[in-house]
Formats: sequence, C-alpha cells, structure tokens
Amino acid sequence: MAKRKIELLAPAGSFDSLHAAIQAGADAVYFGIEQLNMRARSADPFVIEDLSKIKSICMTHGIRTYITLNTVMYEHDMQLLKSVLSEVKAQGIDAVIGADFAVLELCKQMGIPLHISTQANVSNIESVRFFSPYADLIVLARELTLKQTHDIIREIERKDIRGVSGERMKIEIFVHGALCMAVSGKCYLSLHSQNASANRGACIQNCRHPYRVIDTETGEELLVDNEYIMSPKDLCTIHILDQIVDIGVDVLKIEGRSKGPDYVHTVTSCYREALQAIEDGTYTEERVKEWVKRLESVYNREFWEGYYLGRKLGEWTSNPGSAATQRKVYLGKGVRYYSKIEVGEFLIETGTLKSGDMIMITSPNFGMHSEKLTTLVVNGEPDTSASRGDRITLPIKYKISGKDKLYKLLQS
Amino acid sequence: MCKIIHYRNKCIGCGACHDLHPDLWRMSKKDGKATLVRAIEKKQTYILDYPMAEADVFKELVACCPVRIIKVI
Repeated sequence: MAKRKIELLAPAGSFDSLHAAIQAGADAVYFGIEQLNMRARSADPFVIEDLSKIKSICMTHGIRTYITLNTVMYEHDMQLLKSVLSEVKAQGIDAVIGADFAVLELCKQMGIPLHISTQANVSNIESVRFFSPYADLIVLARELTLKQTHDIIREIERKDIRGVSGERMKIEIFVHGALCMAVSGKCYLSLHSQNASANRGACIQNCRHPYRVIDTETGEELLVDNEYIMSPKDLCTIHILDQIVDIGVDVLKIEGRSKGPDYVHTVTSCYREALQAIEDGTYTEERVKEWVKRLESVYNREFWEGYYLGRKLGEWTSNPGSAATQRKVYLGKGVRYYSKIEVGEFLIETGTLKSGDMIMITSPNFGMHSEKLTTLVVNGEPDTSASRGDRITLPIKYKISGKDKLYKLLQS
Repeated sequence: MCKIIHYRNKCIGCGACHDLHPDLWRMSKKDGKATLVRAIEKKQTYILDYPMAEADVFKELVACCPVRIIKVI
C-alpha cells in the first residue's frame, strides 16, 4: 500500500496545551468549547468567543483545527449546537468531530466537514459506508485490533468508499492516552453514583478507584489480584507505531484534553520523532526505549498497547493516580518580561527553588518550556536558593506574562 | 426563607435540576444551560430567595447536580 502522509493530532484543552501541541510538532489539534464535548467538566473550558483566537493561532502555524461536539445531545441543546456550528463555519474550523445524528445532519446541511467520533464505535466497513454521505473521516472504535483496522482500510480502498467531499474515506485511531473500562465512554457508573453522565462529559471516573468484591450472602471476600479491577492502564503504541503506519491509518490521535501542557508537549514530541524516525529508517528498539522513558515521565497509569495486538481483556493499573516518573511542583507565577535583555521575572508564591533544579514554565501564550536552572538571580542578586515572596529573574526567549506558571520538576 | 444559589457559567446543561423541579428551573433554548427562574444575577451567579425555612428540603436538588454548582443556604 502506498505510504500516506500521516497526520498527528494532539489534544488542546487550554491555550497552554494548544501552544504546547504546536511547539511539539502536531499537524492538527482538537478541542471542545462550551458544554457539548466529552470534557465538559474541565476546569477552564474554551467558550464560543475563543474560536477565532484558536483558529488564528493555528492558521499562523499551519495547524488544522477540529472541534469536538460529541456528547449526547438533548432537545434544549439544539440552539447552542446551531450557534456553535454557525461560528465554526464562520471561523473556518477544519472539521467537527461528532457522533449524534443531529450533529451529522446539521453539518451536512451547513456544509461543515465532519469526522465521526469514536463515540459512534465504528467497528466494520458497513458502518463506514453508512457514515460516508456525512463525513470524510472515521475515528474507529478503540477496541479493534490492528488486523481489524487494516481490513477496514483495505475494504475502503477496494470498494472505493468516498466521504462527503468526494475524497477517499480517511481513518483515524487513538495511539496514546487514557482508556475507558467501558466501550469508549458508553458507561453509566458515574451517572449512577454521582448523577454525572459520562456521555455529557461529566465522568467522575469511579473506575479509577480501588474496589473489593464481597459475596453479600456469606460475607466472604473474593480474591482479586488487583484492587483496581476497573481501571485500565493507558494506551501506548510507540513500540508498534511502525505497524500502525504500515496498515495505512491517516490520522493518529493522542488523548488528553484534560491534561497539562507538559503532558501534551512530551507525548506529541515523542510521537512526532517516532513518525519521523519511521520515515527516515531510524526507528530502532533503542530509540523506542528512550521515547517510552520520556512518556513515563508525564502523567500515566502505566502502559499497555490496548487491544491492537489482539488482547481480549484489559490490563489494569496497579496505582492510584499517576505513575509518572516526574512530578511537577507549583512555585509561583510570571510577573513581567524585560524584552530588551530577554529576561523574565517570576514571583515565588510557595516552596523553594535552588540553582541546579529543573524548572518548567507553562503559558497560554507559548505552551511550555523546561530547563535546568544554572544560575539563580533572587531579588536582583545572584543567590543559591529562593523561597516564598522572592522574585527571581532568568534569561528566557519567551515573553513572560502574569498568566504564566512556574513549576519545579522532581523525580518521583 | 432560604436562598438557592446557581453558579450558572459552569452548568453543563444535563437537565437534572429541571427534571427534579420543573417549576424552579427551565432549560435555556439559547445556550442549553439551566436557568433558575426569577433569580437575581450577580456576576454570573444566580440567587433566588425562596419562602422555605428548611434548606434541607433541597438536599436532593443540591445532590442531583453532576458539577456541584447548586447551593441552598
């Protein structure tokens, strides 16, 4: 099969992450706005007014933009959906990612390019054909094997299935990030326990807690080898990326709209480098080990390769929360930037900082930057440590503002 | 008298409050979020004085919100 240009699609849950994705070499980003997306619970969601800014940032960097509108839609959501779609059309967002038929129908009526969300659980060629009059790309169900994915891609070619634009139907798969214990989000645990529907983007992640199984008749506890019986490890495919490229997938998606810019930057840059290495013929086991090490440094629940190699049952995490090898500790925020000498000033609000520490700065203006602090200037004088109330200055090429945050990176 | 408080900008429009008390809430056709009928707005927070001595009566209402943005005091 002829090699295609593969698109690397990164999550952008905030302006920080958007810039981090661009910095790290993403070809496209996806994001949600308002409440009609699967991360509606996010602390600081984008709103309709942010669309033009997102589009202009991405246009400047030649990045494609996809907006998620993939929750269950109710009657009272229709007007908001129409308002969002009008703005999507006006701003020239490259595509909508949807699953509800209202989204499909409205996108078709309004001439907006559409991608079918993984929430539609497309798992066979007939479903691909069904959606083809509406969409140009299908995000396949995360439960398929590589062989099943390959079969679908081959059948698209063989049957010449074309999307609404007249181009061959494209296929996208998830390559990295959290997995759901249910079939891609079709879960009611969160709704039952906290009335928080996962299908409205409000999942409280009950599956990530440890559980015990007790026979209520006898009071006996069933022996399970792991208390985290419903919390799958995270998907990581960097070690089988060459196989994924070989079967002709068009878009590789990284999960993580709720994650920070450090996560987005690290994961996107690893997969970008791996894709380049495959193209250059420098994709080796040693390099894979290096990338895995870097991927382990940011938020993760340990890794497995999902269902792609044919595993029937999930692998469960053994930890509460993240198994990241690196931890970020908040220190303070940006104060001002001295453009002429390219120096940024930060106010330490908590903790201590010593010269030699690894620091990370996250910003809605440039994404993220990390470096080893070689010299420390505290309140205008060289010093060896800074603590609460101190102002530190350091040379940096990025324009620092009050919205930037300073962290210390520690080995866990 | 008690006060029902709704931090509306964080509403995800699930409709649970409206299902429970359709007289108190309506689902906005404009932005799909819940609106506390006759409430007074202060900086995107909506407050309604309600002639009920016991705030406990609204326990279920407070608990039904998946994003915990309804308070009764």
